[in-house]
Amino acid sequence: MFTIRVNGEDHTVDVPEDKPLLWVLREDLKLTGSKYGCGQALCGACTVHVDDQPTRSCVMPISAAEGHNITTVEAIDQQQIGRLVQQAWQELNVPQCGYCQSGQVMAATALLTENRSPSDRDIDEAMSGNICRCGTYARIRKAIHKIADEQL
Amino acid sequence: MSTSGYTRRQFLRVSALAGGGLLVACGGGGGGGGSNPNNPQPPGNGGPSDAEQFTVSEFMRIGSDGRIHILVGASEIGQGALTSMPMIVAEELDADWDLVTAEHSPVAARFNNPYFGGLLQFTVASATTRGYFDNQRQVGAAVRQMLVNAAAERWEVPADSLRTERGVVYDDLNGRSASYGELAESAANQPVPSNPPLKDPASYRIIGQSKQRKDAAEKVNGSHIYGIDVDIPDMLTAVIARPPRFFGQALSVDSNAAMAVPGVREVHTIPSGVAVVADDYWSAEKGRQALEVSWNELLAGRTDSNDTRGEYSFKLNLPGLPIRVDGLVPVAQLAAAENRSADYFFPFQAHAAMEPLNVTVDYTGSKADIWTGSQSPTLDKTFASLILGLLPNQITFHTMSSGGGFGRRGNPLADYVRDACHVAKATQKPVKVMWTREDDMKGGYYRPAAAVRVGASMDNQGNITAWTHRAVTQDVTAALYAEELLDTLAEGQLPPLKELTDLETGMPYDIDNVLMDAHLTLKPQMPSLWMRSVNKFTDVFAQETFIDDIAVSYSRDPYQYRRGMLAGKPRLLAVLDAAAQASNWGSTGGGRSQGIAVLNHWMSYVAQVVELSVSDDKVITLHRIVSAIDVGTAINPDLVVAQVESAVIFALTSVFYGEIELQDGVVQQSNFDDYKMLRMFQVPQIDTVVLPSNESPGGVGELGVPALGPALANAIFAATGEKIRELPLKNLGYTLAEQHPA
Repeated sequence: MFTIRVNGEDHTVDVPEDKPLLWVLREDLKLTGSKYGCGQALCGACTVHVDDQPTRSCVMPISAAEGHNITTVEAIDQQQIGRLVQQAWQELNVPQCGYCQSGQVMAATALLTENRSPSDRDIDEAMSGNICRCGTYARIRKAIHKIADEQL
Repeated sequence: MSTSGYTRRQFLRVSALAGGGLLVACGGGGGGGGSNPNNPQPPGNGGPSDAEQFTVSEFMRIGSDGRIHILVGASEIGQGALTSMPMIVAEELDADWDLVTAEHSPVAARFNNPYFGGLLQFTVASATTRGYFDNQRQVGAAVRQMLVNAAAERWEVPADSLRTERGVVYDDLNGRSASYGELAESAANQPVPSNPPLKDPASYRIIGQSKQRKDAAEKVNGSHIYGIDVDIPDMLTAVIARPPRFFGQALSVDSNAAMAVPGVREVHTIPSGVAVVADDYWSAEKGRQALEVSWNELLAGRTDSNDTRGEYSFKLNLPGLPIRVDGLVPVAQLAAAENRSADYFFPFQAHAAMEPLNVTVDYTGSKADIWTGSQSPTLDKTFASLILGLLPNQITFHTMSSGGGFGRRGNPLADYVRDACHVAKATQKPVKVMWTREDDMKGGYYRPAAAVRVGASMDNQGNITAWTHRAVTQDVTAALYAEELLDTLAEGQLPPLKELTDLETGMPYDIDNVLMDAHLTLKPQMPSLWMRSVNKFTDVFAQETFIDDIAVSYSRDPYQYRRGMLAGKPRLLAVLDAAAQASNWGSTGGGRSQGIAVLNHWMSYVAQVVELSVSDDKVITLHRIVSAIDVGTAINPDLVVAQVESAVIFALTSVFYGEIELQDGVVQQSNFDDYKMLRMFQVPQIDTVVLPSNESPGGVGELGVPALGPALANAIFAATGEKIRELPLKNLGYTLAEQHPA
């Protein structure tokens, strides 16, 4: 049995200790916003915040998640910057298939929370772990700059 | 596109309307006609409201609160079908766009794409807007007329004294109005007009506007439900152990260790492998790792990338089946001052959509529900009914939004749906069949490898007098052309090969003598499939790089050289000029080089310019990529631009990295570490110019892919003198520098 704090609420789950946090979120807590893309921390679709740090939940065993504050895309609108990111993503028609965008939103929110005026290099460093097969990168960059320039 | 095909499509549309099948009025109840009552998740974007609903046609519901819910026959794979299709309907309906929502239609004949002869729901070949445009307008116009007629009856005035605007019918003479919501009930009882008038494009107020995607909000807050997110009561999860080589068979299975994994419930041998069924994904995956299977590989595929290249290179020396024959190539070759040719090779590639394949099946023996992201729901459902032993009307197929498709989810052989149905039939319990990234990467149905030889004959001024193009590849495209096939068969003719395949490159230049031929290589043990832009990716690469090869050797500017061969092709000339202008063609400095390429495909036109520099150690810095396009009527220009941006990135990934290697039948790549994708830090400035047009809508999804590679290779040629004759570039020692656009 493991107890994890997700989006401000404690949840106790009876799962093997090596079950990745991603699958606990998706299957046991029914929070399917975090996506499975690679299972090896290569694509970023599963990105959640663990103690405010963007983290690949597909390789984090549930045993390592215990005792930490986990935030998923379902609750990122509780943060002002998360809300701004979601709004800018909509305004600029960023999502296409949208499958990677939960992870993109979580990565961008973490970046802008840490750095309210990121350079292109900062964006490259923070966002290059997140693959978008539809190729929405240029719009993601534009959206991050737009938030930084106009709203932060 | 043959003239006969156009005529037949017109006939189909009109007859469908006249026959009453297209629009059947049946008032009341939201579930009639077209809803998906068993869907476990709410329909997209808020869905129907609490207000009373009226099914005004089988294609839409109008609520008493004025909300309009439109059912879309095309699949949302990221291209924006669930936004652009309802925009077309809403335009002719004069709807209030803010009150319009949409979801996937059921799988039913009335939602088939007219482009495919009205035979299929099939979201491939950039055919959604092209195929449905006229029909969606007719639907909107017919329902608008029914609403107007209902108001005319209520007010006892002539219908033609009324006008509509943003969801309201106005009687200006008597100063009264009624909303569509107020009129919906009585409109549902109006006769269906058979030939409603369509708008003049000059009065469009929705088509041509850059509307926000209807699914954008759900796609950024995690609430959008993809196939992989489907959750139904008592659902189990399965993964399938597959043979190391395609079409191997399980010979013996030791499932003891797998069954000992907590959570694993069942192990079943199915035609494509061995399924491990468990309470959850993690248990299923651990069970699969513990499974011991020995495989019978007597009939398994032994495709080897190196052997394929050798075989295809040899076949380039042999005449193929003629695809296009203009003039007399042999005569022109004899008369030419120079003949030259070049051989190209392209490897297998995986689609690698971000959402790995998955299917959920709830099969009870007498009926079934199937949920999956699919570009080919009609054929998927057909295969499901054959495997499950059910009639099509006993199956409810829920087309889910796809986390990417690129052709992989449009497999006419329905491979992943068949697998899932075999598992469901064996377990007889609700089950989600999951593919891991590795399963998806190694699962076949790749863009096929191809070899191309292009040849040209020149007079002593460097003018091209003859052109030859020979392709060797697995032909996976014939099904695309079902309509032409039917047309020509109906006329008692055998269809011309160029209309049955994607092997006619569309070579647009003014050259009198052309010979295109192809070897249609059959490799049943090597599962191949179309991938975004199909054979254009390889054929146009060869064609457009060879043009530069010739131009440069005769000291011609590649842009002007193309210009000189496009007289009488105004739309191609326009995009070529627009791309050259937007990219400041020819006036770059600082060690930067440019390459250009042009293409006409699916009734659309594109020219692209890549600007780059190359270091001595072959590190490429991309500076800027400009695309100029003419897609006819752009329904939603911002989504058109988004598709071109997407295609640029997709093509860059293919050109730099895209390669699936097979060694003695075994796929060598497995995940994004050895099958790389372009990432944020590598993306240059991307600019897209959309030329205004009121012509019929052309294809958009694939348009930006094929010319990007040759434009890039031409820029490398300009920078280094190296002629790129094979892809991907990583195999030639090229790498991409980090980008930091200003």
